[in-house]
Amino acid sequence: MIELTKTGIDGLDEILNGGIVKNSTTLVSGNPGAGKSILGLQFIYNGVDQFDEKGIYLSFEENEKDLREAAESIGFDKWPDYVESGDIKVYDKQVLLRENDFSSSLELLLDDLEDDEYDRLVLDSLAMFELFFESEREKRTYLLKFTDILRENELTTLMTNEQGAVFPDTEIGLENYLTDGNIYLIQTPTDSGVNRYLWVAKMRKQNIETDIYPMEIDWGGINVHENASAFSMMGEGDSPI
Amino acid sequence: MASVDILQTLGNKYSAEILDATDEPASAQELSDELGIPIATCYRRIDELTEHDLLELHDNILSDDRRRIKVYRRNVEEVRVDFDEELTVHIEERTEVTNKLDEAWRTLSES
Repeated sequence: MIELTKTGIDGLDEILNGGIVKNSTTLVSGNPGAGKSILGLQFIYNGVDQFDEKGIYLSFEENEKDLREAAESIGFDKWPDYVESGDIKVYDKQVLLRENDFSSSLELLLDDLEDDEYDRLVLDSLAMFELFFESEREKRTYLLKFTDILRENELTTLMTNEQGAVFPDTEIGLENYLTDGNIYLIQTPTDSGVNRYLWVAKMRKQNIETDIYPMEIDWGGINVHENASAFSMMGEGDSPI
Repeated sequence: MASVDILQTLGNKYSAEILDATDEPASAQELSDELGIPIATCYRRIDELTEHDLLELHDNILSDDRRRIKVYRRNVEEVRVDFDEELTVHIEERTEVTNKLDEAWRTLSES
């Protein structure tokens, strides 16, 4: 029996047939503004709020204040309380890049991982993490080693990745193969704003719905319309394909 | 002069091959077998390289017959020789980040 970690995101757990495979690493890809960080925030926040699972949020992109404001702007009011109480541990860009010294924060992080206290982790973003490695080969090797470390310490992980999904020839990076799951967030401009879509392209060990579903980002975070066929929601010419 | 010493050490027969082969930790015996270096020479080169911090003792691992074996890993990513003004040898060490991940990962495979 495969154990699952619920994201607590409306619609997404249904598409995943229950949730993300426990202790796996899933890559969340999308263009800037597609909602990757929000998905990460929500995954961590819901973990504490709904499932009593502690989380670690690593951000090379934002500082703690930015994250708090982002969380509060979508209604995650208790984010600061959870950070205060230690249910959510934030390593923000200031900590991670302190004196250009990622290695000392990495040491703290590795200690945290070994504590068995946390169940969820978000790495925002993989591209920044990879900057600490010299060659392509080293990037791959250490991504694999890092995901091994996360799995063995029983962390279910989301890693964000700046990579758009352009159909039909979506560029597949090696990262997509090296991770257990791939979720794409897609946005297409419309006359009135943007249409947003979510596509679970891969989830090892789990039967998933591989259609592309419309989603919204609103108060309360991401909401995926799992009952709607993506393309019935779109007007003519809006199809990302 | 330290720079000349380092170049001398690097220039010794088998030194470069040893550094090339120690991306992942290896024992003197493994290096000797893999690279076809006489074992005494292999130990001597390892000592020289370790003395100059080009190679480091990574761990004492337990062999199948319960003996402790020293394994070595290179401590250097890049060596640059600069002849401008005066001879200088720049050693770019392996980053700490990779060291730490290697160590954490190694602990996993032991448990």
